[in-house]
Amino acid sequence: MALKPPPPPSVTALACRNCGAPLEIRAPGRSVVVACGACGAVLDAQDPQYAIIARYETKNVVAPAIPLGIRGRLKGEPWQVIGYQVRRTKIAEATYSWLEYLLHNPAQGFRWLVESNGHWTLAKTAAGVPSTVAEREAEYLGERYRHFQTAKAETAYVVGEFPWIVKAGDTAVVDDFVHPPLTLTRERTDQDTTWSVGEYLTGDAVWKAFTLPGAPPAAVGVGPAQPSPYSPRSRTMVLMLAAFVTAAVLIHLVFSMLSQQRLVLDQAWEFNPNASATATAMTEPFVLGGRTSNVLAEISTTVAQSWAYFTLTLVDAETDASRTFGREVSYYFGRDSDGAWTEGVPWDRAWLPSVPAGRYVLIVEPEGPQAFNYRVRLTRDVPRPLFVWLAIGVLCLPPIVFWWRKARFELLRWSESDHPMSGQSSSSDDDE
Amino acid sequence: MTKVYAVFGGLVLAALTWVHLTGWSPSNVTEEKGIPKSVRDNPGSYRSTYGTRPYTGAK
Repeated sequence: MALKPPPPPSVTALACRNCGAPLEIRAPGRSVVVACGACGAVLDAQDPQYAIIARYETKNVVAPAIPLGIRGRLKGEPWQVIGYQVRRTKIAEATYSWLEYLLHNPAQGFRWLVESNGHWTLAKTAAGVPSTVAEREAEYLGERYRHFQTAKAETAYVVGEFPWIVKAGDTAVVDDFVHPPLTLTRERTDQDTTWSVGEYLTGDAVWKAFTLPGAPPAAVGVGPAQPSPYSPRSRTMVLMLAAFVTAAVLIHLVFSMLSQQRLVLDQAWEFNPNASATATAMTEPFVLGGRTSNVLAEISTTVAQSWAYFTLTLVDAETDASRTFGREVSYYFGRDSDGAWTEGVPWDRAWLPSVPAGRYVLIVEPEGPQAFNYRVRLTRDVPRPLFVWLAIGVLCLPPIVFWWRKARFELLRWSESDHPMSGQSSSSDDDE
Repeated sequence: MTKVYAVFGGLVLAALTWVHLTGWSPSNVTEEKGIPKSVRDNPGSYRSTYGTRPYTGAK
Protein backbone atom coordinates (compact mmCIF):
# COMPACT_ATOMS: atom_id res chain seq x y z
CA MET A 1 0.00 0.00 0.00
CA ALA A 2 1.47 3.32 -1.03
CA LEU A 3 2.04 5.77 1.76
CA LYS A 4 0.43 9.14 1.37
CA PRO A 5 2.85 12.05 1.68
CA PRO A 6 2.33 14.05 4.84
CA PRO A 7 0.27 17.21 4.43
CA PRO A 8 2.27 20.45 4.25
CA PRO A 9 2.66 22.10 7.62
CA SER A 10 0.02 24.63 8.46
CA VAL A 11 0.97 28.27 8.42
CA THR A 12 -0.51 30.80 10.78
CA ALA A 13 -0.78 34.34 9.46
CA LEU A 14 -0.90 37.26 11.84
CA ALA A 15 -0.23 40.96 12.00
CA CYS A 16 2.57 42.41 14.07
CA ARG A 17 1.11 43.65 17.34
CA ASN A 18 3.46 46.58 17.21
CA CYS A 19 3.47 47.84 13.61
CA GLY A 20 0.83 45.77 11.86
CA ALA A 21 3.23 44.23 9.35
CA PRO A 22 2.10 40.80 8.12
CA LEU A 23 3.87 37.88 9.83
CA GLU A 24 3.67 34.13 9.47
CA ILE A 25 4.32 31.28 11.87
CA ARG A 26 5.55 28.33 9.80
CA ALA A 27 6.35 25.98 12.68
CA PRO A 28 3.37 26.41 14.94
CA GLY A 29 3.75 24.65 18.25
CA ARG A 30 7.56 24.63 17.96
CA SER A 31 8.35 28.30 17.53
CA VAL A 32 8.61 30.21 20.77
CA VAL A 33 8.90 33.70 19.35
CA VAL A 34 8.35 35.44 16.05
CA ALA A 35 10.39 38.54 15.31
CA CYS A 36 9.10 41.32 13.10
CA GLY A 37 11.79 42.49 10.71
CA ALA A 38 9.92 45.75 10.06
CA CYS A 39 9.80 47.15 13.57
CA GLY A 40 11.97 44.92 15.72
CA ALA A 41 9.16 43.64 17.92
CA VAL A 42 9.48 40.09 19.23
CA LEU A 43 6.09 38.41 19.74
CA ASP A 44 5.25 35.39 21.87
CA ALA A 45 4.42 32.78 19.23
CA GLN A 46 2.75 30.50 21.76
CA ASP A 47 0.45 33.18 23.14
CA PRO A 48 -2.95 33.27 21.38
CA GLN A 49 -2.74 37.05 21.51
CA TYR A 50 0.89 37.12 20.27
CA ALA A 51 1.91 39.46 23.03
CA ILE A 52 5.02 41.56 22.55
CA ILE A 53 7.76 40.26 24.79
CA ALA A 54 10.67 42.41 23.53
CA ARG A 55 11.29 45.32 21.27
CA TYR A 56 14.47 46.73 19.77
CA GLU A 57 15.40 49.53 17.45
CA THR A 58 15.75 48.55 13.80
CA LYS A 59 17.86 51.08 11.98
CA ASN A 60 17.73 49.21 8.69
CA VAL A 61 15.48 46.52 7.35
CA VAL A 62 17.69 43.65 6.24
CA ALA A 63 16.56 41.50 3.32
CA PRO A 64 17.87 37.94 3.67
CA ALA A 65 19.51 36.57 0.52
CA ILE A 66 17.45 33.41 1.08
CA PRO A 67 13.85 34.61 1.54
CA LEU A 68 11.90 33.45 4.58
CA GLY A 69 9.38 30.77 3.73
CA ILE A 70 11.35 29.32 0.82
CA ARG A 71 11.72 25.55 0.71
CA GLY A 72 14.70 23.54 -0.43
CA ARG A 73 16.40 20.17 -0.07
CA LEU A 74 19.72 19.91 1.75
CA LYS A 75 21.49 16.65 2.54
CA GLY A 76 18.50 14.78 1.15
CA GLU A 77 15.95 16.38 3.49
CA PRO A 78 13.39 19.11 2.74
CA TRP A 79 13.81 22.30 4.74
CA GLN A 80 11.97 25.59 5.02
CA VAL A 81 13.65 28.85 5.98
CA ILE A 82 11.67 30.27 8.91
CA GLY A 83 14.10 32.59 10.69
CA TYR A 84 17.07 34.75 10.05
CA GLN A 85 19.48 36.60 12.25
CA VAL A 86 22.56 38.72 11.74
CA ARG A 87 25.25 38.30 14.35
CA ARG A 88 28.45 40.22 14.81
CA THR A 89 31.59 40.33 16.89
CA LYS A 90 34.26 42.87 17.48
CA ILE A 91 37.89 41.84 17.27
CA ALA A 92 40.63 44.44 17.61
CA GLU A 93 38.22 47.31 16.91
CA ALA A 94 37.02 45.64 13.70
CA THR A 95 33.44 44.36 13.48
CA TYR A 96 32.79 41.08 11.74
CA SER A 97 29.30 39.83 11.00
CA TRP A 98 27.77 36.61 9.77
CA LEU A 99 24.30 35.42 8.88
CA GLU A 100 22.33 32.55 10.34
CA TYR A 101 19.22 31.10 8.69
CA LEU A 102 16.96 28.89 10.76
CA LEU A 103 15.62 25.92 8.80
CA HIS A 104 12.69 23.80 9.87
CA ASN A 105 11.53 20.34 8.94
CA PRO A 106 8.50 18.90 10.80
CA ALA A 107 10.20 15.50 11.14
CA GLN A 108 13.83 16.56 11.57
CA GLY A 109 13.40 19.67 13.68
CA PHE A 110 15.67 22.67 13.24
CA ARG A 111 18.96 23.32 11.48
CA TRP A 112 21.14 26.37 11.18
CA LEU A 113 22.45 27.47 7.82
CA VAL A 114 25.32 29.82 8.60
CA GLU A 115 27.01 32.06 6.04
CA SER A 116 30.25 33.90 6.66
CA ASN A 117 32.31 35.48 3.88
CA GLY A 118 30.60 33.29 1.31
CA HIS A 119 31.34 30.09 3.24
CA TRP A 120 28.30 28.06 4.40
CA THR A 121 27.76 25.59 7.20
CA LEU A 122 24.71 23.46 7.90
CA ALA A 123 24.57 22.92 11.65
CA LYS A 124 22.40 21.07 14.13
CA THR A 125 22.37 20.64 17.87
CA ALA A 126 25.00 18.15 18.99
CA ALA A 127 23.64 14.80 20.15
CA GLY A 128 25.81 14.83 23.25
CA VAL A 129 28.21 17.03 25.14
CA PRO A 130 31.64 17.01 23.52
CA SER A 131 34.68 16.86 25.75
CA THR A 132 37.35 19.52 25.57
CA VAL A 133 41.09 19.25 26.14
CA ALA A 134 42.55 22.45 27.61
CA GLU A 135 40.18 24.44 25.38
CA ARG A 136 42.50 23.67 22.43
CA GLU A 137 40.67 20.58 21.30
CA ALA A 138 37.21 19.12 21.49
CA GLU A 139 36.23 15.52 20.92
CA TYR A 140 32.83 14.55 19.59
CA LEU A 141 31.72 11.15 18.31
CA GLY A 142 35.32 9.97 18.08
CA GLU A 143 36.54 12.94 16.03
CA ARG A 144 38.98 15.51 17.35
CA TYR A 145 38.29 19.15 16.56
CA ARG A 146 40.92 21.88 16.86
CA HIS A 147 40.00 25.14 18.49
CA PHE A 148 39.69 27.82 15.84
CA GLN A 149 38.34 30.94 17.45
CA THR A 150 36.58 32.31 20.49
CA ALA A 151 34.48 35.43 20.09
CA LYS A 152 31.70 37.29 21.84
CA ALA A 153 28.79 37.24 19.43
CA GLU A 154 25.98 39.78 19.54
CA THR A 155 22.69 39.40 17.74
CA ALA A 156 22.34 42.48 15.55
CA TYR A 157 19.10 41.74 13.71
CA VAL A 158 16.41 39.09 13.81
CA VAL A 159 13.39 38.35 11.67
CA GLY A 160 11.12 35.34 11.54
CA GLU A 161 10.39 32.74 14.16
CA PHE A 162 12.67 30.94 16.58
CA PRO A 163 12.34 28.08 19.03
CA TRP A 164 13.75 30.18 21.83
CA ILE A 165 13.39 33.76 23.00
CA VAL A 166 15.70 35.74 20.79
CA LYS A 167 16.14 39.44 20.40
CA ALA A 168 18.65 41.88 19.04
CA GLY A 169 21.36 42.64 21.55
CA ASP A 170 21.57 39.08 22.86
CA THR A 171 25.17 38.09 23.47
CA ALA A 172 26.94 34.78 23.79
CA VAL A 173 30.52 33.56 23.89
CA VAL A 174 31.07 31.41 20.82
CA ASP A 175 33.89 28.87 20.57
CA ASP A 176 34.49 27.32 17.18
CA PHE A 177 36.37 24.04 16.77
CA VAL A 178 37.08 22.62 13.33
CA HIS A 179 37.75 19.27 11.77
CA PRO A 180 37.16 20.01 8.07
CA PRO A 181 34.60 19.69 6.68
CA LEU A 182 33.01 19.52 10.15
CA THR A 183 32.75 22.26 12.69
CA LEU A 184 31.80 22.16 16.36
CA THR A 185 30.45 25.27 18.03
CA ARG A 186 29.85 25.98 21.68
CA GLU A 187 27.65 28.92 22.64
CA ARG A 188 27.75 30.05 26.23
CA THR A 189 25.39 32.50 27.87
CA ASP A 190 24.77 33.24 31.51
CA GLN A 191 21.92 30.75 31.43
CA ASP A 192 23.14 27.79 29.44
CA THR A 193 25.70 26.22 27.12
CA THR A 194 24.76 24.63 23.83
CA TRP A 195 26.84 22.64 21.36
CA SER A 196 26.14 22.36 17.66
CA VAL A 197 27.88 20.39 14.95
CA GLY A 198 27.98 21.56 11.35
CA GLU A 199 29.22 20.56 7.95
CA TYR A 200 30.71 22.84 5.31
CA LEU A 201 28.67 23.64 2.21
CA THR A 202 29.53 25.64 -0.85
CA GLY A 203 27.40 28.59 -1.87
CA ASP A 204 26.58 26.85 -5.12
CA ALA A 205 25.17 23.86 -3.21
CA VAL A 206 22.95 26.16 -1.14
CA TRP A 207 21.75 28.08 -4.18
CA LYS A 208 21.00 24.85 -5.99
CA ALA A 209 19.20 23.42 -2.95
CA PHE A 210 16.81 26.38 -2.74
CA THR A 211 16.76 27.03 -6.52
CA LEU A 212 17.71 30.63 -5.90
CA PRO A 213 18.24 33.05 -8.79
CA GLY A 214 21.63 34.56 -9.50
CA ALA A 215 24.87 33.53 -7.89
CA PRO A 216 25.75 33.06 -4.21
CA PRO A 217 28.06 35.53 -2.49
CA ALA A 218 31.64 34.95 -3.59
CA ALA A 219 33.68 33.02 -1.04
CA VAL A 220 36.45 35.12 0.46
CA GLY A 221 39.63 33.38 1.58
CA VAL A 222 39.43 29.93 3.11
CA GLY A 223 36.55 28.99 5.39
CA PRO A 224 37.31 27.56 8.85
CA ALA A 225 35.73 24.21 7.96
CA GLN A 226 36.37 24.32 4.22
CA PRO A 227 37.79 20.96 3.17
CA SER A 228 41.22 21.23 1.63
CA PRO A 229 41.24 20.13 -2.01
CA TYR A 230 44.81 18.95 -1.46
CA SER A 231 44.51 16.70 1.60
CA PRO A 232 42.74 13.78 -0.14
CA ARG A 233 45.46 13.75 -2.81
CA SER A 234 48.51 13.94 -0.55
CA ARG A 235 48.91 10.20 -0.25
CA THR A 236 48.41 9.75 -3.99
CA MET A 237 51.11 12.32 -4.69
CA VAL A 238 53.54 10.55 -2.36
CA LEU A 239 52.83 7.19 -3.99
CA MET A 240 53.14 8.63 -7.48
CA LEU A 241 56.44 10.32 -6.64
CA ALA A 242 57.79 7.07 -5.18
CA ALA A 243 56.62 5.14 -8.25
CA PHE A 244 58.16 7.62 -10.69
CA VAL A 245 61.50 7.75 -8.85
CA THR A 246 61.60 3.96 -8.70
CA ALA A 247 60.78 3.76 -12.40
CA ALA A 248 63.53 6.28 -13.24
CA VAL A 249 66.10 4.28 -11.28
CA LEU A 250 64.90 1.06 -12.89
CA ILE A 251 65.17 2.57 -16.37
CA HIS A 252 68.76 3.55 -15.62
CA LEU A 253 69.58 0.12 -14.19
CA VAL A 254 68.05 -1.67 -17.17
CA PHE A 255 70.02 0.45 -19.62
CA SER A 256 73.15 -0.02 -17.51
CA MET A 257 72.74 -3.77 -17.82
CA LEU A 258 71.78 -3.80 -21.50
CA SER A 259 74.12 -1.10 -22.81
CA GLN A 260 77.25 -2.15 -24.69
CA GLN A 261 79.84 -0.27 -22.58
CA ARG A 262 82.39 -1.63 -25.06
CA LEU A 263 85.94 -0.27 -25.14
CA VAL A 264 86.58 0.51 -28.81
CA LEU A 265 89.81 2.48 -28.55
CA ASP A 266 92.64 2.56 -26.03
CA GLN A 267 95.78 4.23 -27.35
CA ALA A 268 98.67 6.19 -25.84
CA TRP A 269 100.92 8.89 -27.34
CA GLU A 270 103.41 11.44 -26.21
CA PHE A 271 103.50 15.15 -26.87
CA ASN A 272 106.41 17.52 -27.03
CA PRO A 273 105.80 21.16 -27.92
CA ASN A 274 109.17 21.28 -29.62
CA ALA A 275 108.56 18.21 -31.81
CA SER A 276 106.15 18.87 -34.65
CA ALA A 277 105.77 15.13 -35.27
CA THR A 278 103.84 14.85 -32.03
CA ALA A 279 101.45 17.71 -32.87
CA THR A 280 98.88 15.36 -34.40
CA ALA A 281 98.01 11.73 -33.74
CA MET A 282 95.61 9.58 -35.70
CA THR A 283 94.21 6.17 -34.86
CA GLU A 284 93.55 3.17 -37.03
CA PRO A 285 89.89 2.76 -38.04
CA PHE A 286 87.69 1.29 -35.34
CA VAL A 287 84.06 0.24 -35.30
CA LEU A 288 81.26 1.79 -33.28
CA GLY A 289 78.52 -0.81 -33.35
CA GLY A 290 74.90 -1.07 -32.33
CA ARG A 291 72.27 1.65 -32.38
CA THR A 292 73.00 5.36 -32.36
CA SER A 293 74.26 6.04 -28.85
CA ASN A 294 76.89 7.97 -26.96
CA VAL A 295 80.64 7.50 -26.77
CA LEU A 296 82.59 8.14 -23.59
CA ALA A 297 85.95 9.77 -24.30
CA GLU A 298 88.51 9.57 -21.49
CA ILE A 299 91.87 11.32 -21.57
CA SER A 300 94.53 10.64 -19.00
CA THR A 301 97.81 12.54 -19.00
CA THR A 302 101.06 13.01 -17.10
CA VAL A 303 100.46 16.77 -16.97
CA ALA A 304 101.71 18.31 -13.71
CA GLN A 305 101.93 21.98 -12.77
CA SER A 306 100.72 22.68 -16.27
CA TRP A 307 97.84 22.40 -18.66
CA ALA A 308 97.05 20.68 -21.93
CA TYR A 309 94.35 21.22 -24.49
CA PHE A 310 93.16 18.53 -26.84
CA THR A 311 91.32 19.05 -30.09
CA LEU A 312 89.74 15.71 -30.99
CA THR A 313 88.03 14.96 -34.28
CA LEU A 314 85.97 11.83 -34.78
CA VAL A 315 85.78 11.12 -38.52
CA ASP A 316 83.41 8.64 -40.15
CA ALA A 317 85.75 6.65 -42.38
CA GLU A 318 82.93 5.87 -44.84
CA THR A 319 81.32 9.28 -45.26
CA ASP A 320 84.08 11.61 -43.99
CA ALA A 321 81.48 13.23 -41.73
CA SER A 322 83.28 14.53 -38.67
CA ARG A 323 82.63 16.03 -35.28
CA THR A 324 85.30 18.02 -33.49
CA PHE A 325 85.45 18.77 -29.80
CA GLY A 326 87.99 20.22 -27.44
CA ARG A 327 88.91 19.26 -23.90
CA GLU A 328 91.26 20.84 -21.43
CA VAL A 329 93.28 19.21 -18.68
CA SER A 330 95.11 21.12 -16.00
CA TYR A 331 96.71 19.96 -12.81
CA TYR A 332 98.47 22.03 -10.20
CA PHE A 333 99.49 21.29 -6.65
CA GLY A 334 101.63 22.79 -3.94
CA ARG A 335 101.85 23.77 -0.33
CA ASP A 336 101.45 27.15 1.30
CA SER A 337 100.66 28.59 4.70
CA ASP A 338 97.24 26.91 4.57
CA GLY A 339 98.75 23.53 3.91
CA ALA A 340 98.78 21.34 0.82
CA TRP A 341 96.56 22.22 -2.10
CA THR A 342 95.73 20.77 -5.46
CA GLU A 343 93.82 22.12 -8.35
CA GLY A 344 92.36 20.28 -11.30
CA VAL A 345 93.12 16.69 -12.28
CA PRO A 346 95.41 15.28 -14.92
CA TRP A 347 92.57 13.50 -16.64
CA ASP A 348 89.25 14.32 -18.31
CA ARG A 349 86.15 12.59 -19.54
CA ALA A 350 83.37 13.62 -21.89
CA TRP A 351 80.30 12.00 -23.44
CA LEU A 352 79.85 12.43 -27.20
CA PRO A 353 76.08 12.39 -27.76
CA SER A 354 74.22 10.37 -30.38
CA VAL A 355 77.04 8.92 -32.49
CA PRO A 356 75.69 6.70 -35.29
CA ALA A 357 77.18 3.27 -35.86
CA GLY A 358 80.07 3.04 -38.38
CA ARG A 359 83.83 2.88 -38.91
CA TYR A 360 85.66 5.83 -37.46
CA VAL A 361 89.12 7.24 -36.93
CA LEU A 362 90.09 9.67 -34.21
CA ILE A 363 92.45 12.58 -34.81
CA VAL A 364 94.02 14.09 -31.70
CA GLU A 365 95.78 17.47 -31.69
CA PRO A 366 97.28 18.22 -28.28
CA GLU A 367 98.61 21.59 -27.12
CA GLY A 368 100.50 22.62 -24.04
CA PRO A 369 103.56 24.42 -22.73
CA GLN A 370 105.30 21.26 -21.54
CA ALA A 371 105.90 17.75 -22.79
CA PHE A 372 103.62 15.03 -21.49
CA ASN A 373 102.33 11.55 -22.23
CA TYR A 374 98.65 10.97 -22.76
CA ARG A 375 96.23 8.19 -23.38
CA VAL A 376 92.79 8.25 -25.03
CA ARG A 377 90.07 5.67 -24.40
CA LEU A 378 86.74 5.55 -26.20
CA THR A 379 83.90 3.46 -24.79
CA ARG A 380 80.69 2.91 -26.74
CA ASP A 381 77.20 3.25 -25.19
CA VAL A 382 77.74 4.28 -21.55
CA PRO A 383 74.61 5.31 -19.54
CA ARG A 384 74.96 8.64 -17.73
CA PRO A 385 73.76 8.73 -14.10
CA LEU A 386 73.42 12.53 -14.46
CA PHE A 387 70.18 12.14 -16.37
CA VAL A 388 68.63 9.97 -13.65
CA TRP A 389 69.37 12.66 -11.07
CA LEU A 390 67.98 15.31 -13.40
CA ALA A 391 64.83 13.25 -13.96
CA ILE A 392 64.36 12.72 -10.22
CA GLY A 393 64.78 16.45 -9.64
CA VAL A 394 62.22 17.31 -12.29
CA LEU A 395 59.83 14.65 -10.95
CA CYS A 396 60.03 16.26 -7.49
CA LEU A 397 58.96 19.68 -8.75
CA PRO A 398 55.17 19.07 -9.03
CA PRO A 399 54.94 17.49 -5.53
CA ILE A 400 56.89 20.43 -4.12
CA VAL A 401 54.42 22.84 -5.74
CA PHE A 402 51.53 20.67 -4.51
CA TRP A 403 52.73 20.65 -0.90
CA TRP A 404 53.47 24.35 -1.01
CA ARG A 405 49.90 25.05 -2.16
CA LYS A 406 48.53 22.69 0.47
CA ALA A 407 50.48 24.46 3.20
CA ARG A 408 49.37 27.84 1.87
CA PHE A 409 45.72 26.71 1.98
CA GLU A 410 46.06 25.80 5.66
CA LEU A 411 47.97 29.01 6.32
CA LEU A 412 45.04 31.00 4.89
CA ARG A 413 42.51 28.95 6.87
CA TRP A 414 44.25 29.54 10.19
CA SER A 415 45.19 33.15 9.48
CA GLU A 416 41.70 34.19 10.63
CA SER A 417 41.81 32.04 13.74
CA ASP A 418 43.15 32.56 17.25
CA HIS A 419 46.05 30.31 16.28
CA PRO A 420 47.59 31.63 13.04
CA MET A 421 50.31 29.44 11.57
CA SER A 422 52.54 32.38 10.74
CA GLY A 423 54.11 32.20 14.18
CA GLN A 424 52.28 35.26 15.48
CA SER A 425 50.55 34.79 18.80
CA SER A 426 46.95 35.78 19.09
CA SER A 427 45.44 37.49 22.07
CA SER A 428 43.99 34.21 23.32
CA ASP A 429 47.40 32.57 23.03
CA ASP A 430 48.90 35.37 25.02
CA ASP A 431 46.36 34.86 27.72
CA GLU A 432 47.40 31.28 28.29
CA MET B 1 46.62 17.75 -10.20
CA THR B 2 47.32 14.02 -9.87
CA LYS B 3 46.23 13.41 -13.47
CA VAL B 4 48.46 16.21 -14.69
CA TYR B 5 51.31 14.81 -12.60
CA ALA B 6 50.70 11.33 -14.00
CA VAL B 7 51.04 12.68 -17.55
CA PHE B 8 54.03 14.82 -16.57
CA GLY B 9 55.78 11.91 -14.86
CA GLY B 10 55.11 9.68 -17.84
CA LEU B 11 56.66 12.25 -20.17
CA VAL B 12 59.74 12.62 -17.94
CA LEU B 13 60.23 8.84 -17.86
CA ALA B 14 59.73 8.65 -21.61
CA ALA B 15 62.33 11.38 -22.09
CA LEU B 16 64.72 9.57 -19.75
CA THR B 17 64.27 6.37 -21.75
CA TRP B 18 64.80 8.20 -25.03
CA VAL B 19 67.95 9.90 -23.70
CA HIS B 20 69.35 6.55 -22.58
CA LEU B 21 68.36 4.94 -25.85
CA THR B 22 69.90 7.51 -28.19
CA GLY B 23 72.71 8.83 -26.02
CA TRP B 24 71.41 12.35 -26.58
CA SER B 25 72.79 15.16 -24.47
CA PRO B 26 71.80 18.83 -24.36
CA SER B 27 75.23 20.08 -23.35
CA ASN B 28 78.10 21.07 -25.58
CA VAL B 29 80.95 18.64 -25.21
CA THR B 30 83.59 21.15 -26.26
CA GLU B 31 85.48 23.05 -23.60
CA GLU B 32 86.62 26.45 -24.76
CA LYS B 33 90.18 27.49 -24.29
CA GLY B 34 88.75 30.34 -22.33
CA ILE B 35 90.87 30.34 -19.23
CA PRO B 36 93.29 33.27 -19.47
CA LYS B 37 96.94 32.41 -19.59
CA SER B 38 97.54 34.57 -16.57
CA VAL B 39 95.21 32.31 -14.61
CA ARG B 40 96.78 29.16 -15.98
CA ASP B 41 100.13 30.40 -14.81
CA ASN B 42 98.78 31.48 -11.44
CA PRO B 43 96.14 28.92 -10.53
CA GLY B 44 95.90 29.85 -6.85
CA SER B 45 94.44 33.22 -7.78
CA TYR B 46 91.05 31.72 -8.58
CA ARG B 47 90.93 28.91 -6.09
CA SER B 48 87.86 29.36 -3.96
CA THR B 49 88.59 26.73 -1.36
CA TYR B 50 91.51 24.84 0.07
CA GLY B 51 89.99 21.42 0.55
CA THR B 52 88.24 21.38 3.92
CA ARG B 53 90.12 24.40 5.20
CA PRO B 54 88.48 27.83 5.17
CA TYR B 55 89.54 30.29 2.54
CA THR B 56 92.05 32.77 3.93
CA GLY B 57 92.80 34.93 0.93
CA ALA B 58 94.39 34.72 -2.45
CA LYS B 59 98.00 33.90 -2.86
